[in-house]
Amino acid sequence: MHSAGRSWLLLTGFILFYIIYLLFGALVFSSVERPQEDQLRTEMKALKEEFLNQSCVNAASLEHFLVKVLTANKYGVSVLKNTSMPSNWDLASSMFFANTLVTTVGYGHTTPLSDTGKAFSIIYALIGVPFTMLVLTACVQRLMYPLVLAPVGLLQRSGMEPRPATVVHFMLLLILVVLCFFLAPAAVFSTLEVSWSLLDGLYFCFISLCTIGLGDFVPGTQPGQKYRPLYQVSVMIYLFVGLMMMYLLLRTFHKMADLHGLTTFLQLPRCEDDLDEDREPIVEDHH
Amino acid sequence: MAAPDLLDPKSATHNTKPRLSFSTKPITLTPREESEVVTTVMKWKTVTAIFLLVVLYLVMGAAVFRALEQPHESAQRLAILSQKLEFLSRHSCVNQSQMEELVKQVVSAIRSGVNPAGTLTNHSSLWDLSSAFFFAGTVITTIGFGNISPHTEGGRIFCIVYALLGIPLFGFLLAGVGDQLGTIFGKGIARVEKMFMHWDITQTKIRVISTLLFVLFGCLLFVALPAAIFKHIEGWSALESLYFVVITLTTIGFGDFVAGGSEIEYLDYYKPVVWFWILVGLAYFAAILSMIGDWLRVISKRTKEEVGEIRAHAAEWTANVSAEFKETRRRVSVEIYDKFQRATSIKRKLSSELGFSPAPELTLPKRTVSVNFNDERDKEAGLQGLTTPLTRNGGLFMNGLDPERGDLSVIEPLK
Repeated sequence: MHSAGRSWLLLTGFILFYIIYLLFGALVFSSVERPQEDQLRTEMKALKEEFLNQSCVNAASLEHFLVKVLTANKYGVSVLKNTSMPSNWDLASSMFFANTLVTTVGYGHTTPLSDTGKAFSIIYALIGVPFTMLVLTACVQRLMYPLVLAPVGLLQRSGMEPRPATVVHFMLLLILVVLCFFLAPAAVFSTLEVSWSLLDGLYFCFISLCTIGLGDFVPGTQPGQKYRPLYQVSVMIYLFVGLMMMYLLLRTFHKMADLHGLTTFLQLPRCEDDLDEDREPIVEDHH
Repeated sequence: MAAPDLLDPKSATHNTKPRLSFSTKPITLTPREESEVVTTVMKWKTVTAIFLLVVLYLVMGAAVFRALEQPHESAQRLAILSQKLEFLSRHSCVNQSQMEELVKQVVSAIRSGVNPAGTLTNHSSLWDLSSAFFFAGTVITTIGFGNISPHTEGGRIFCIVYALLGIPLFGFLLAGVGDQLGTIFGKGIARVEKMFMHWDITQTKIRVISTLLFVLFGCLLFVALPAAIFKHIEGWSALESLYFVVITLTTIGFGDFVAGGSEIEYLDYYKPVVWFWILVGLAYFAAILSMIGDWLRVISKRTKEEVGEIRAHAAEWTANVSAEFKETRRRVSVEIYDKFQRATSIKRKLSSELGFSPAPELTLPKRTVSVNFNDERDKEAGLQGLTTPLTRNGGLFMNGLDPERGDLSVIEPLK
């Protein structure tokens, strides 16, 4: 009973802390973004008035027109000059969309318009999301040996204690992942995309690899993008591999926390390896 | 996994630790090279197979989406183009470039969350406290609708740092909530199972029924009910509400439909209740998704097992046949040896009684004893009950005879 009471207490503590964290974030976002928004709003107002002043359009028909334009834009259909813009639903883009659906990133730059499309998305997601998680977990399990266990063993054999060895290894892995999967792709994106700065690229990489996927930055959607299908496919591959590395990092951290006794202290589930069908004890630690 | 345990009963007791735990001893690679190579190859095969399946799944989905959506997109495009032309023709003082400019500005304003349609004065800000709270929630749960997103550099940097700390925090919370949900549900299931016990149904049926109950009840509480509420409050169609619920609870979060994102007057407690629903619904969906994943794993395991079973049967049959041959050969040689031993001991006894010097021992090559104690037992029983096997698992028999050493004195019954 004591442990049950303790777990409830911990849970309530977590929830409270989480709410406080959210409030804190809300305050900061609000104070940072709101001035910008107000400024944009006044700019828009001025723009509309200026437009209405110099032309014969009346406010009502302008509103009507704008609403139509914005509805179309919500679905990714642009009304601007280059009418020869490639479709958002050719094979490569559809595959990109399916990939965002299945990895739960969900940018939302293109969304299904038809009812059948929406219904199909529901079913597709319900099957595809666990499927993808299965693949990612299987790949990560395979990668654990060469990327985690072997180096840690190496460190231990060169005389380090197990606990500091895991910490050192985790730090090294973290630095490697940040270099290869955040900084380098951010640099590549900032050169390939015309309007992105390095910070924008970094922001995009982070938001995508955490599967948040806000959708304010999506590569390959600029009009006049060369080799668009190839670009989108390579972004897909980058997302998949990056996601795998994030899972690997998370798992390594979980194991490290296990070793240091953090998870049992916080009464969280330990890093149980899945009962994968051909999981083999790679390292025997009896006799 | 089971096979190594069965072969080595000592390692079964070590199974309480997770397999790949770091031990305090330095990690040494035991020399299981050949078997390890075999399993490595097999595992790569499995992973590649699953990976190819995922790619196939993506391509299939892409083809279906294209077939479904492209006509709609073309229709939308035509409609908006005709609107544009009509607008331009009706208001002849506006030229194309002016309009393009306006539209571009409007679109970018929309992306920043400012809606220029309608009057701009009495709009509630997108960054007031409750909306910012909601946005922070969508970032941490990794749903990420995107109808609101930070546009300042400071906002973006803060968003990155915030998510770095918040996502693990939410992960812990989700684990805790999922645990509690599981316990509550488990208790309910236990009670239902107790009822079913009286009806004398098999364990697997009870399991299946309880899983179905879990899925149905959860769907009702976390999917159907909120979808109905959203349909009523937000004015979406039934399909759109369901679509929103699924897309949100799987954390995909497109953002084309957002509860609390339209221009309707919402009640004060609407958004916090939505957030609470997201939290519990996410735990439920995580459970469902892991269950689907388990089913997929079981299905693939079953097919592998079936293939493996056929192979195992064949191997077992050949092993049995060769074992039979070996056994027959061995039994014959053992009987000959025992008869010889008996003859020697009788001879010795007779010679000792008659006072002769003991004859030189006739030696036979040492009998090789098999590890299989069953054979020993059968052999013992086959010696016409001369010795009673009192223990079943080998070792010393309780009447002091050790079959391993071939110490089969048969003097007593001959008296």
